[in-house]
Amino acid sequence: MSDALRFDDVTFTYPEGARPAIVAVDLAIDEGSFALAVGPTGSGKSTLLRAANGLVPQFTGGTFGGRVSVQGRDTLAHPPRRLADVVAFVPQDPGASFVLDRVEDELAYGMENLGVAPAHMRRRVEETLDLLDIAALRDRSVRTLSGGERQRVAIAAALAAGPRILVLDEPTSQLDPQGAEDVMAALQRLVHDHGMTVLLAEHRLERVAGWVDVAIGFDRGRVSSGTPADVIGHLAAGPPVTRLGRMLGWHPLPLTVREARGAASAAPRPTLPPPVLSDTGDGDGSVVAQARGLRASYGETTVLRDLDLDLRAGEVLAVMGRNGAGKSTLLRVLAGIHAPAGGRIRVLGEEPRPGTDVALCPQEADELLFKDSVEQEVRATLVARGETGAAAPWLAALGIAGLAARHPRDLSAGERLLVATAAVAATGAPLLALDEPTRGLDPASKERLIGFVRAHATAGRAAIIATHDVELAAAVATRVVILAGGDVIADGAPGPVLGDSRVFAPQMTRVFGPGWLTPEQVAGALR
Amino acid sequence: MRDRRSVHPMAWIVWATSAGFVAFVTTDPVYLFLLWAVSWFVYASHRVDADHARSFRLFLTGATIAVALRTGLVFFGTVSAANTTFSFLEGLRLGTILVIFGTFNAVTDPFGLVRMAPRHLHEPALAAALALSIAPRTVAGVGRVREAQRMRGIRVHGARALPALAVPVLERGMEEAHTLAESMDARGHGAGRRSRYRPQPWTVAAILIAATAIVAAATFLAASAGGWAVLHPQTSPITWPEADPLLLAAIGLLAAPGFVGRTRP
Repeated sequence: MSDALRFDDVTFTYPEGARPAIVAVDLAIDEGSFALAVGPTGSGKSTLLRAANGLVPQFTGGTFGGRVSVQGRDTLAHPPRRLADVVAFVPQDPGASFVLDRVEDELAYGMENLGVAPAHMRRRVEETLDLLDIAALRDRSVRTLSGGERQRVAIAAALAAGPRILVLDEPTSQLDPQGAEDVMAALQRLVHDHGMTVLLAEHRLERVAGWVDVAIGFDRGRVSSGTPADVIGHLAAGPPVTRLGRMLGWHPLPLTVREARGAASAAPRPTLPPPVLSDTGDGDGSVVAQARGLRASYGETTVLRDLDLDLRAGEVLAVMGRNGAGKSTLLRVLAGIHAPAGGRIRVLGEEPRPGTDVALCPQEADELLFKDSVEQEVRATLVARGETGAAAPWLAALGIAGLAARHPRDLSAGERLLVATAAVAATGAPLLALDEPTRGLDPASKERLIGFVRAHATAGRAAIIATHDVELAAAVATRVVILAGGDVIADGAPGPVLGDSRVFAPQMTRVFGPGWLTPEQVAGALR
Repeated sequence: MRDRRSVHPMAWIVWATSAGFVAFVTTDPVYLFLLWAVSWFVYASHRVDADHARSFRLFLTGATIAVALRTGLVFFGTVSAANTTFSFLEGLRLGTILVIFGTFNAVTDPFGLVRMAPRHLHEPALAAALALSIAPRTVAGVGRVREAQRMRGIRVHGARALPALAVPVLERGMEEAHTLAESMDARGHGAGRRSRYRPQPWTVAAILIAATAIVAAATFLAASAGGWAVLHPQTSPITWPEADPLLLAAIGLLAAPGFVGRTRP
């Protein structure tokens, strides 16, 4: 087998970087392998991904040493556009990468540039539409797509050009669990059946660890590659099954639900006591938000219909459902920025007052950062409330006190999200709404966010989180609502609701049965 | 939603150029106001989506301001009914051209234009399309940022609140532009080879739109060159504008897109 991608002693520093983003990287990725880049944010994953098609350093500038070759072509001798026939790249923010307007045209764009014959192009577009299951979107404008749809279209657009190597930066971050699985299955098919080489970066390891056959671990710009078990086993983080294995001293460490099930049955251990399945959460506090007969629509599409919901003090409500199920809309209506089409919505007994009773951190959290430092960003919220208090407690609550003096623009996506959350939370609103808060968040940042949300709820307030991340829901929610087709199809404590679902069951539920949500909980019961 | 039945972008170019030409050769308020009405009618029956609708309103506001400013210029000199009227009509002409451009912007997909550009014009066409897409993108961005700031209690109005709106909009805009440029390069843009995917067909509707627009423009050209109708009403002394039935009918022809190839009921 020959190398699809080869890095020889590559060190790269961004034009304004104080230290190299990647250091002395020696790496060879065989043709036909499915490789995963893992590591905390800011450890060099995105840089390496961009170096794979020459965007680093050809597009970014900076100091580059060493050599990267893509199917034998040196990336310094070939500009990215001359590598487009062998390597395709899907950036983290798929919406920003669209060039044309119609989905179908967007898929053909790369092929048009490569001068592919029209008849061949047409066939390739049709096949790719089917492969990513987006044939229904062909005539849509890319600007009207939901996050999950955009992600699929971006992957399809990269694939349609027929590259031998596909590089993807967090390709499942905006997808629901089923959508993520479908995309991973499609990628695996390309690797197995067509000999393509796929390299992707992802933080939600539980979604990808079982699919890949090579892992590249990143630690402050240095990389080491090996089998997924080796690399993920050495990380502080990992999928819940791996974390459990580590807590219980299992060898080898499981990476998938299937491996964990094997390990759990092989280990001579007392049987696990059945978990307590309560169907009421901690929701014994007063009502913070109430919806009665709520209807909401976008244009002519009804998104939510006749929804009744009580959110009580002390509750953390996770709202789940497939892409486009109306999760974000529910948050926006509760937050008072999207007028309901019917029904009644009350926060603390009144019409929702955004920024006072209820604060929402939007999916594109970057869109509210405008100050020169993290500290000033939080102060801006306090000042708007007419308060003179310090920003420090809010930063400390999210574990970002160390970033106070930094410019938000210089932070990683995950860190910026924590800053935005702090800036929104600083309103002191009793109802905190977070839209897809773990997108692009590395495990360490995710832990901080979970700690913060828990503290917010235990202080007698409430939180509502729209998320695709089942492990987040398992770790933080006291109650889960699942939306489908505008209706609430499940509502209750996470144990029974997630335990009863094939799609939304967290890994611990899949291994040990309904009610088991987190590795900490299982390890505690087994010790 | 746009589909393959939509009007060929070249038909829109012909329509906009013809309507713009008509506005250019006259200062008769009857014709100009009629052009505003026709533009609105065409926009309302063909607009693409909400973002474009917002940017059309932006052009409408711009046009109104243009009329007011041009009229206001009079006050820097001797003010008389005659020169005020003259300035107003000049401003109205400018405003009409802006409204027509706004309609063009709202009903066409600028990227559709890129796809039909001949190979050697592809680069400038793409640059133009990206520039055209800035208005709707920015309008959408402003809406989202305003909302996001409201969610943390920062109301964006007044000059002091401007950074809260402008900084994220511009930063996101820059970032998006960067990602887009990067993505275009990575997807082989400018690699020198090009083929065309499913060129848009000329539908009967598109041919009708282009043909009627050319007839309209030709009628005004004839009137302007032949001098058989008054295109510039006298302002000194002020006289009532005329309305030649043939020219009225010609402007009526420019409303043809409101009847054929409509994307909205």
